[in-house]
Amino acid sequence: MIHIDSVSKHFTARTGGSLFKRAVKQTVHAVQGVSVHAASGRITGLLGPNGAGKTTTLRMLAGLFKPDGGSIMVDGIAVDQAPLKALARMGILGDAHGLYPRLSARENIIYFGRLQGMEADAASARAEELSRLLDMGSILDRRAEGFSQGERMKTALARALVHDPANIVLDEPTNGLDVLATRSLREALRHLRSPAGGSKCIVFSTHIMQEVEQLCEHVVVVAQGRSVAQGTVPELLEQAGESKFEDAFVKLAFPHLSNPGAV
Amino acid sequence: MSKVLLKSFWIVFTKEVADALRDRRTLLRLLVPVVLMGPLLLLALSSLISSLEDRAERRVILVVGMEHAPSLRNFLERQTYTLKPAPADYEARLRATTLLEPVLVIGKDFEAVLRTGERPTVEVVSDSANQRAGAGVSTMLRLLQGFNRERATLSLALRGVSTELLQSVDVQERDLASTQARAARITGIIPMFIIMAVLYGALTAALDSTAGERERGSLEPLLMNPVQHFALVLGKWGAVALLGLAVALLATLSFVPAQWLLKSDSLQAMFQFGWYEVVAFLLVLLPLAAGLGAVLMALAIRSKTFKEAQAGSALVVTLVGLAPMVTLLNPGGDAPWYLWVPGLAQNTLMMLVLKGEALTMARVLPGVLVGVLLTVVCLFYVARSMRIAVAR
Repeated sequence: MIHIDSVSKHFTARTGGSLFKRAVKQTVHAVQGVSVHAASGRITGLLGPNGAGKTTTLRMLAGLFKPDGGSIMVDGIAVDQAPLKALARMGILGDAHGLYPRLSARENIIYFGRLQGMEADAASARAEELSRLLDMGSILDRRAEGFSQGERMKTALARALVHDPANIVLDEPTNGLDVLATRSLREALRHLRSPAGGSKCIVFSTHIMQEVEQLCEHVVVVAQGRSVAQGTVPELLEQAGESKFEDAFVKLAFPHLSNPGAV
Repeated sequence: MSKVLLKSFWIVFTKEVADALRDRRTLLRLLVPVVLMGPLLLLALSSLISSLEDRAERRVILVVGMEHAPSLRNFLERQTYTLKPAPADYEARLRATTLLEPVLVIGKDFEAVLRTGERPTVEVVSDSANQRAGAGVSTMLRLLQGFNRERATLSLALRGVSTELLQSVDVQERDLASTQARAARITGIIPMFIIMAVLYGALTAALDSTAGERERGSLEPLLMNPVQHFALVLGKWGAVALLGLAVALLATLSFVPAQWLLKSDSLQAMFQFGWYEVVAFLLVLLPLAAGLGAVLMALAIRSKTFKEAQAGSALVVTLVGLAPMVTLLNPGGDAPWYLWVPGLAQNTLMMLVLKGEALTMARVLPGVLVGVLLTVVCLFYVARSMRIAVAR
């Protein structure tokens, strides 16, 4: 169970400047009030356009930096109070998910499993289990050097799930995946959500509407650093008064663009 | 708490070592110069020395116009030297470094001038750019002075004057250097190569585990594991220091067989490089590998790419690598502050080992203190920077 309660975060960025003109510092409000309540046994979609603050929110969830305001709880553990405890309860596939090219997929997975406190044997057994789930048996003992985008993504996902976490956080996991890989990923996530797969709490960020429509029971629409709407897909359609999800999303995310009467 | 830290350290450490050892191509490229260069240079030096020794044994002097100076010839032959006519184009050949001996040139009127009691001129021709010919000059000058002294002694004796008047001071040379100390003049290049080996061994591992990890995008997932950041840094640093030491060990070991190939017998007799030296070198290098590994990691963690990190570390690599040059430029003048400078301190200590002098606590302690201090400061800095690096 993940509770993100109206978190905010600002960064200072620099303008270009030139040789004679100093770069000016600007404050960028990346996130200013995002709330996500993700229950167990449910896939929660974080839907928003590029730059809406999804990745920043998830990075705060991962404890990479502290939010300026708001609170983040994972299974009742405050991330900024006990980050290590919270991390042990999460499997995170972040924005960056580089592998170690000279290690095999299995070794990559075992390394993270051991850092999660598992024994090497248990981690290896778990790697095989995950390779069946993610259909990556053929690459399990190959070095990560020559992996395709999809193979890399699968390995990174297996690495994030090695300790069988109760909460799974995925940041745009389908980026760069082809149809088949996306489909098998979707299947895997459905399995993990089901009671047979452990009724995981899955948080999934994306900017692709079809994915949300097909996969998520609960959707949080994020735009300009705020969570602007949430609910199931039918609820959101009703809220926006639209019949197509895409129209509903645009209306909810960019209210100033979709004035009534315009096509 | 500390048990958890130790366990995490071990996991990261073993992974980093295995990862670095898998990078065979880089390792090989690194080992070839490190393991071969030192011994090759040593062999080249030894063959130079043995050729000088050969010349000393052959006792041959190249002369132009020997027929004009029978008395000098008589003297030289009494000193058991063989006289050979110099080639006609000796000047050109000396300049071109194809002739490696100085040439004695005697004027036509040598004997006549000598007999009238005046001073005939002889020339010792060499080229100071031709080092091997230059090395023979002093021997020849000493021989000619011997001739001078003999003539003077004889003519004074004829007039009934004591020859001791000529030498009012009795000068005797006394060389305090032990045989090992004398050899250290030649083997002084060895520590420099071994310090380079530490640098090269630690460099790739240090950059790969910091900037490389950022470039691959694997640092962020790594930090999302429930492990203290300091444990991660400690494990990485342990691997870096170990690799630096391992390459240094290989470089050190390469000198053991190299000494069997030494051509010069006297050098071979003087150059003692056994297990004691190997172990002492490693102990001396331990603080250097630790401190240097930490410094390189601290420099690299702020770089986003491997390339950027390489550019950033160039200064440290050059400074530490060339630190031993200070002793070469200022031979014999070991100052106390040498022992406080990383690289220079280890060079000084290794030279002491080669000279067969004892390593006292007072000599070793400064280097250890500096190494420990650098390690602690840099590792805390890396742990802090790692968090900042992913927070951008």
